[in-house]
Amino acid sequence: MTALLEVQDLRVTFGGTAAVRGASLAVAKGETHCLVGESGCGKSVTSLAIMGLLARGGRREASALRFAGLEIGGLNEREMSRLRGDRMAMIFQEPMTSLNPAYTVGSQMTEVLRRHRGATRAQAVDRAAELLGRVGITAPGLRLGQFPHQLSGGLRQRVMIAMALMCDPELLIADEPTTALDVTVQAQILRLLAGLQRDLGLGILLITHDLGVVARIADRVSVMYAGEVVESAPTAELFGNPRHPYTRGLLACVPVPGKVKRGDPLGSIPGVVPRIPPGFRGCAFRDRCEYAHAECSGPIPRQQAGPGHEVLCTLALAA
Amino acid sequence: MTPAIEVRDLRRIFNVRQGLFAPPRQVRAVDGVSFAVPPGSVLGVVGESGCGKSTLARMILGLLPPTSGEVLVDGQRLSSMDRKARARLIQPVFQDPFSSLNPRRRVQDIVAMPLVAQGNIDRATVARRVAEALERVGLSAEQGGRFPSQLSGGQRQRVAIARALVLRPRIVICDEPTSALDVSVQAQILNLLDELRRDLGLTYLFISHNLAVVEHVASEVAVMYLGRIVERQESEALFHNPRHPYTQALLASVLTPEPGLGVPDVGLGDIMPDPANVPPGCRFHPRCPRVFAPCATQEPRPTTSAAGLVECHLEG
Repeated sequence: MTALLEVQDLRVTFGGTAAVRGASLAVAKGETHCLVGESGCGKSVTSLAIMGLLARGGRREASALRFAGLEIGGLNEREMSRLRGDRMAMIFQEPMTSLNPAYTVGSQMTEVLRRHRGATRAQAVDRAAELLGRVGITAPGLRLGQFPHQLSGGLRQRVMIAMALMCDPELLIADEPTTALDVTVQAQILRLLAGLQRDLGLGILLITHDLGVVARIADRVSVMYAGEVVESAPTAELFGNPRHPYTRGLLACVPVPGKVKRGDPLGSIPGVVPRIPPGFRGCAFRDRCEYAHAECSGPIPRQQAGPGHEVLCTLALAA
Repeated sequence: MTPAIEVRDLRRIFNVRQGLFAPPRQVRAVDGVSFAVPPGSVLGVVGESGCGKSTLARMILGLLPPTSGEVLVDGQRLSSMDRKARARLIQPVFQDPFSSLNPRRRVQDIVAMPLVAQGNIDRATVARRVAEALERVGLSAEQGGRFPSQLSGGQRQRVAIARALVLRPRIVICDEPTSALDVSVQAQILNLLDELRRDLGLTYLFISHNLAVVEHVASEVAVMYLGRIVERQESEALFHNPRHPYTQALLASVLTPEPGLGVPDVGLGDIMPDPANVPPGCRFHPRCPRVFAPCATQEPRPTTSAAGLVECHLEG
């Protein structure tokens, strides 16, 4: 199966800081690929780089950046903006800041279709109402006339999802779509995404720091650290047989009712994600890694740990 | 033993203006809450946004006067204490270490502020106690000379904790102390809070929307819904045997890292709770998957037993 999105050796630098250092990943049609890691590990920059939305000063290089067989790395801004919001759509963490507070939900939603497809206002309104219904919003007519501040966080995120779906995209990039929401609403939004994917065959690249979300919704997981994908595997394999010390550390941090006795400390990873200067060699995790040894400052091999399971580590960790 | 925190029938009503000529609407943010927290223990408070948990915290801290009811801290009425005495007894740690620290002050000055505000502590003592507090939370003296913007989120939350501890209070109110942090940093902060509680004999009121976090730190858990505590139980019992349908739904929506289980259907529907428009009868009934005859009209009475408190028509 050819991948819907294929990223090979993506590099992003901001001045003297390397934010993404050779990340590769692929999303197949109808697949959910989760990108996990701590803040500052380059997850969001990766997604913005794919969409061509890097902030001023960001430089992107990649040996391949293909969307549905089309090389998008060389597209200019006009060609890219024709794709964005049309065949590839994105939703962000905080729907309050990504919706324009000065326009009604309806005018923001219809703009997408009118601009990309040249639809009439009436057609666009019909489509917007249909999609609001599809994402579980009752009384879509009323909501279309409302402003973002009149909606709750969960409703706003549903509006964002509906807006992203206006042009029937093939790929949806979701950057922490449920992090700002209550757990109950999070479950509803994730179910909604999973349902939409099943019905529409969407490919989803979901960025999150929450391993609970990953376990429940991903088909494939890539763990990112300091701008590199340090481990990538099918979901069951990653959780059943995590090989990279960073992945193991992340898993140990998650509080799970009944897992760690009260009063016993939770697992944690000491320190924070470092800033990586250009020309850095070796494993970026070595200063926080309990297994670090001399070889970790040399070149790090990308090892096969099983079918579709890759680990960027010098250790051959026991299962 | 005198409870460290006791609240009796606490209420807070906000009058919210709807527009220039519309009559104000009443938002019952906290609507008759009573509980007691024994010294050295941790009461976890969970609920969705808008359930009144932060309003409750602000009243217990004395930052917001209650509309009615009483707060007793260490057996004394909060309303009869002056600000300085209150600060020596009870201190807050808030959610967002990015907005709760003054960006123009150095860490050591931020931590010193509660001591300086007491007004009668000499500079040498202030410096010594600040150094002690920083060391306690795992920050170096060098980090004390930095500005908050030079620290990571986890380090900033350590600063907020040091500031809360510098007056050696007995009680700390933690309002979502780890919600803005990464899981790895969250684990560090939770471990630190637990260590401090044991070493210093602190009592916590620990507010969070994350049940898994509360389960880890709290000895007892209170579940809030639209201004009321609908269930209160020992932490372990609550997780093994949640009795209120709302608690069950909250528990079901915790996504544990177990692949293959999918995303659960929590069965709460799409209606969101609105504290300005509390439903009649049981306030949870429009979302309750087990709603039956009396729920829409009769308000359930709290039933208290050895196992705790539940406010639901299914009980008793």
